[in-house]
Amino acid sequence: MPSTPKNSAHFFINAATVAAELSVVLTEAKNISLEAMNAKALVARAGDNVRTFKPITDFMVELANDTIWLVKEINREALVLSRTSLSDLHSADAHERFKQAQARSRTAPFGDTLDPVAQSASHQHHQQSMQLKRHMRKLFELLDEIESRMLAANVVTATSRLEAATAADSYQASLEGIVVKLEKAANRIKHIASKCRHSLER
Amino acid sequence: MKVVKLHEGRSHEWLVFGRDEERPSKIIDTNQYMIKTANHAIILDPGGIELFSAMLAAVVHHVPIQQITHLFASHQDPDIISSLGLWDKTLPHATLYAPWLWEGFLRHFGCNSIKYNPLPDEGKSIRLDDIEIQFIPAHYMHSSGNFSVYDPQAKILMSGDIGAALLPDGAPLFVEDFDHHVEKMRLFHQRWMPSNRAKKDWVRRVRQLDIQYMAPQHGAIFKGKDVNRFLDWLDELEVGTGV
Ligand SMILES: [Fe+2]
Ligand SMILES: [Fe+2]
Repeated sequence: MPSTPKNSAHFFINAATVAAELSVVLTEAKNISLEAMNAKALVARAGDNVRTFKPITDFMVELANDTIWLVKEINREALVLSRTSLSDLHSADAHERFKQAQARSRTAPFGDTLDPVAQSASHQHHQQSMQLKRHMRKLFELLDEIESRMLAANVVTATSRLEAATAADSYQASLEGIVVKLEKAANRIKHIASKCRHSLER
Repeated sequence: MKVVKLHEGRSHEWLVFGRDEERPSKIIDTNQYMIKTANHAIILDPGGIELFSAMLAAVVHHVPIQQITHLFASHQDPDIISSLGLWDKTLPHATLYAPWLWEGFLRHFGCNSIKYNPLPDEGKSIRLDDIEIQFIPAHYMHSSGNFSVYDPQAKILMSGDIGAALLPDGAPLFVEDFDHHVEKMRLFHQRWMPSNRAKKDWVRRVRQLDIQYMAPQHGAIFKGKDVNRFLDWLDELEVGTGV
């Protein structure tokens, strides 16, 4: 966990970068949502021919909505994290400077009058580090969640493929097209989520 | 950080803090001043963030921190007051006297607890126990909102960047040879001071004061006759030569 000033220094930049990367995920999630709408229309038109595809379209809608919500949450959390790591950096700096002053004034007649200030700076720094850790944990949890949604999406694409293969010929191509798009979007989201995780862990 | 007593009277003393050996290279050397009375102390131009630790450590050799109730910033430069955010944590109940013009800017250094008391353009006086401290307008010398500090009892003028000299490390704290010293000041005044009119105005104001020591924020302190020599020299000097 980053608690040293050096880590915080790159951290507040990375957290801000994460927020920027996530805009791509949002676009992909909106694509899934659009694709789900197409699939729904298709299922309605085809009736009994693709009845088994109905739960899949429902899942796609749910997946898109959840992802959009998660991205917004991650975005918010990443910005909070960026701010928190900056405060952590400041509090670490203040803590260090008061410590230096204390070390230099050990023999000073009024050196002990510094103690409460140095203590409060140390306390503040500790609080900031704790808060930073808390926000980081939260952000990782959200990334976990998005990744596990995408794993579920992979399972669903596998079953959908089977379903598409057994559907009437006239619908097969369209259904397979929908499955491919869902798979691509899910993979891209997974890729970005793990990229974000790596840049935060670095 | 070296500390020298500039004045010791019945009611108060003046201390100079400077020539910090542990100052990171490439950072301009600065003189910080403290006036200490029976129950109070004011730090004049407390300095940059990089020397905060050294300054704080040096200060508690002379006063308990609770006694520092006032700060003064002659203008907004980082070498003057970029330590404000840390003083704010150290002295949450203190008052900062600084030009009104710079309030919104200085607050960027962090001023959450300290009270900012904006100095009006015409200057003002405050009392610290038994002594009077005058904030003398020094606008455009070099900053557009700028003050010098005068103590009529000790006859000391803290002149901020006016009278500054760029000296090598370990140079004496007082001007020893004025003619030689002039060469160390010329460029600074020509290039950093923008206005001949402002310069004349400041010289006129300061000539009315009885000054024994003129204490700048960089370089060496002027004593006795060298103060007038400096005023004559500055009066003649063409400034604002950057264009
Ligand atoms: Fe300056
Ligand atoms: Fe300066």
